[in-house]
Amino acid sequence: MNQATLAVAGSRKTQSIVDACTNGEIGVRRLVVTYTQSGQAELESRLRSSCEPGTVPRVIGWFAFLLQHCIGPYLPLQFAEQRLSGLNFHGNPPRGRYATGASRFFDSEGRAYRIHLSKLAYDVSNASRGAVVNRLANIFDEIYIDEVQDLTGCDLHLVAQLMEEPDLDVYMVGDVRQSVFDTNPQDPNLRQYRGVNMLDWFELHQTTGLLDVQHNVKTWRANQAIATFSDTLFPSEFVFEPTVSMQNETTDHDGVFALSEPDVPAYILQHSPQLLRNSISTVCALELPIHNFGKVKGLTFDRVLIYPTKSIINFLVDGTELAPKTACGLYVAVTRAKYSVAFVLPKPSDTALTHWGESNSPERASTT
Amino acid sequence: MIERIIIRGYRLFQDFEIEPDKGLNIIVGGNEAGKSTLLEAISIGLTGRANGRWAEEELNPYWFNQRVVADFFAELKIGNSPTPPEILIELYLNGENPDTHILRGVHNTRVEDAAGVQVRIKPSVDYAKEFDDYLNDPARPDIIPVEYYNLEWQNFAGATLHRRPKHLGVSFIDSRTIRSTWGVDYHTREMLSDFVETKERASISVAHRSARHTISETALAEVNKRITEEGTRLHDRNLGLQMDQSSGASWEAGVVPHVDEIPFALSGQGQQAAIKVALAMNRSASSTSYVLIEEPENHLSHTSLTRLVARIEDLAGDRQVFMTTHSSYVLNRLGLDKLRLIHGGKPTAFSEISDDTVRYFKRLSGFDTLRIVLADKLVLVEGPSDEMLFERAFRDKHNQKPIEAGIDVLSMSGVSLARALELSAALNRKVAGIRDNDGKPPAHWEEKVAQHLQEGVRQLFIGDPTRGNTLEPQLIHCNNEKIIRSLLLIKDSSKATIDWMSEHKTEAALLLAESKTPVKFPDYLMAAVEFVE
Repeated sequence: MNQATLAVAGSRKTQSIVDACTNGEIGVRRLVVTYTQSGQAELESRLRSSCEPGTVPRVIGWFAFLLQHCIGPYLPLQFAEQRLSGLNFHGNPPRGRYATGASRFFDSEGRAYRIHLSKLAYDVSNASRGAVVNRLANIFDEIYIDEVQDLTGCDLHLVAQLMEEPDLDVYMVGDVRQSVFDTNPQDPNLRQYRGVNMLDWFELHQTTGLLDVQHNVKTWRANQAIATFSDTLFPSEFVFEPTVSMQNETTDHDGVFALSEPDVPAYILQHSPQLLRNSISTVCALELPIHNFGKVKGLTFDRVLIYPTKSIINFLVDGTELAPKTACGLYVAVTRAKYSVAFVLPKPSDTALTHWGESNSPERASTT
Repeated sequence: MIERIIIRGYRLFQDFEIEPDKGLNIIVGGNEAGKSTLLEAISIGLTGRANGRWAEEELNPYWFNQRVVADFFAELKIGNSPTPPEILIELYLNGENPDTHILRGVHNTRVEDAAGVQVRIKPSVDYAKEFDDYLNDPARPDIIPVEYYNLEWQNFAGATLHRRPKHLGVSFIDSRTIRSTWGVDYHTREMLSDFVETKERASISVAHRSARHTISETALAEVNKRITEEGTRLHDRNLGLQMDQSSGASWEAGVVPHVDEIPFALSGQGQQAAIKVALAMNRSASSTSYVLIEEPENHLSHTSLTRLVARIEDLAGDRQVFMTTHSSYVLNRLGLDKLRLIHGGKPTAFSEISDDTVRYFKRLSGFDTLRIVLADKLVLVEGPSDEMLFERAFRDKHNQKPIEAGIDVLSMSGVSLARALELSAALNRKVAGIRDNDGKPPAHWEEKVAQHLQEGVRQLFIGDPTRGNTLEPQLIHCNNEKIIRSLLLIKDSSKATIDWMSEHKTEAALLLAESKTPVKFPDYLMAAVEFVE
């Protein structure tokens, strides 16, 4: 039976894959597919340290999975003479959207364009008339997909084909609220399931009986205050169960705060937060290490200090709903923190958040 | 299991394709038919190695099919630009073992969804210019410049292979016994290494190292002391001797297998062959799915061969075995149905041999079936006297022996003519069957084996019963009896010619076959001579 576990940030999703592989039946052939490069290295080392030698499943990145298992073996059925030499990560076909045939998918060196990789994989799979899926089902019994929320369009078509194969069980874990990356931003397929709307895709396959969807609302990272705040970020049309925090540690500074720009140095001195911003275009005056929201997925920090965008400020001030994509990014940023989240705002007191720095006294800070 | 082998442009094989059987495949063919080459090609495909070294390092101009090469240079000479010779080896595996599916895809010449491996030797793209310059050099010899070639070893999924895929374990038992300093050849060494666990390997290595160190510290210490005292100095530094501790001096090089206290390389060649087979067959089936055996009969006495063949049969199990042989015994014993015949680099197709006949020859394993298998034209005769007289009749007519004309005269010596005819028919051999009429008209005998006969291809030649039941009365009938008696030196005048001849069949045949006086032969024998020429 195929299974999807949709879980909140900090719910040890990746660990659940490690546990399934470690405690699962011996002799079952498993493949673990993950989206991010860093995620892959991390998963590999965790699996190696917890699984018996010889039973460690193979770990592969999503693009490598498409290249090695979906495209490579059957490419001649789609493009007879085309050679495949690797991945063109950043490039675009010279004729752009008007490129046709093999030139839409390959550069002159035989490297496949990343932006059309899923479409190519799906086309090859169809050209193979089921052989791609059948081959995988012969090599593996179970396929685990981490960060499933990052798959889009043709990726989902392929996953559906895998799910339809009775000899293959697909286990997916992910959090649609963290869908900050798309594997393929230009893919017009299944646009309706982009980002948080992917929930509908899971629901669709649950209704047909192809997929069992589980929800996990327990977080082991953020405290309850942060968890509750993270639940408020999404537009009202998305209904998520409230997050429950299992992290009960208390410090001298717990919760969600707002502060003004001049107070930032003092705040940093006192609490040493990790600085985060939406993207490089968000202005930040300080010469301190700062990360973009998209780069901190999977990471944990004790405290974070966020430089918000205009729309985030509006959301904090008067509750203007965030665009789903912005909400996803902010959700990732907020849920990195174990103890505290703080926003740098022009007028901290305009928000409902605790204003830090009115007297620079930590005693005044309390949970919202 | 390998279900199809395609070889192109490799040595004898210009365009070769064969669908081997699941278990045993006994590869038979004349000299230069490509038997060993087929085993080599399978080994290269499965392991990427030739003679124990990476195939790319072993690559030489003689790997290329000489006909293809000659055609290429001929085309070049007349100003055309032909495709340079390439070598292709493809092994198609069936999907029974799910683990082979990792090798599955359509990257094969048939663009067929199958698991398998492919070796391709073709001009390197990187050396395109050099290759061109070479071809255009007026002083160049007509030899393929392998320096500008590269070898691609990949699976049917299109992925390049760097080491033998896990499930393609192969044991190669070649009959060439290498008495190298290594003591054993690469394949045997690999089989032996199965016996040593990783942990043991490490502890042997440590013990070996410390033993070497001890020698340096003790025996060599004295030597070094003396050298120092004698003041042998080199470039102001002390000269000393130490045991080699580099990786080249690893324990593997110093450990050789012993058989009953005798080093493997010094034991008998037959013994070596037997041990290699035993080693190969004892490896777990998962580590060796394929066994390649080259002429197991070499260096073995008949009794040892009997034991060895029984052993091969017992242990083959689920493995796919490819074996070349020149021994009829091996072929009969393991079953004629396992026969894979190749000739001049091409597989020879033949129809099925009945189970009954396969069993028959398993029992009569001494019969030289390979002579039927390998002959172009055959004359099957009942016994040695018929054989000698047929030969004489042929020589009288053609001034050469039948064998010189490519005709093999085979004495059945009690083996059923019908069985031999069935085998000949399956192989589509041209056969003249000569037999006694035993008092019955020829049609009687022809009817019994009618299904294996074919006008102009396989016919029976039988004497007219009115002229006698066997060859002897037939001979008396067509010759002057007095001359026969004198040629046979029959002194007792009371003895009838026919009685003497029947009592001394072989002797009579020998005397007639060697007589200086011409002898006439019965019509049916002469008809047979004419038929096979």
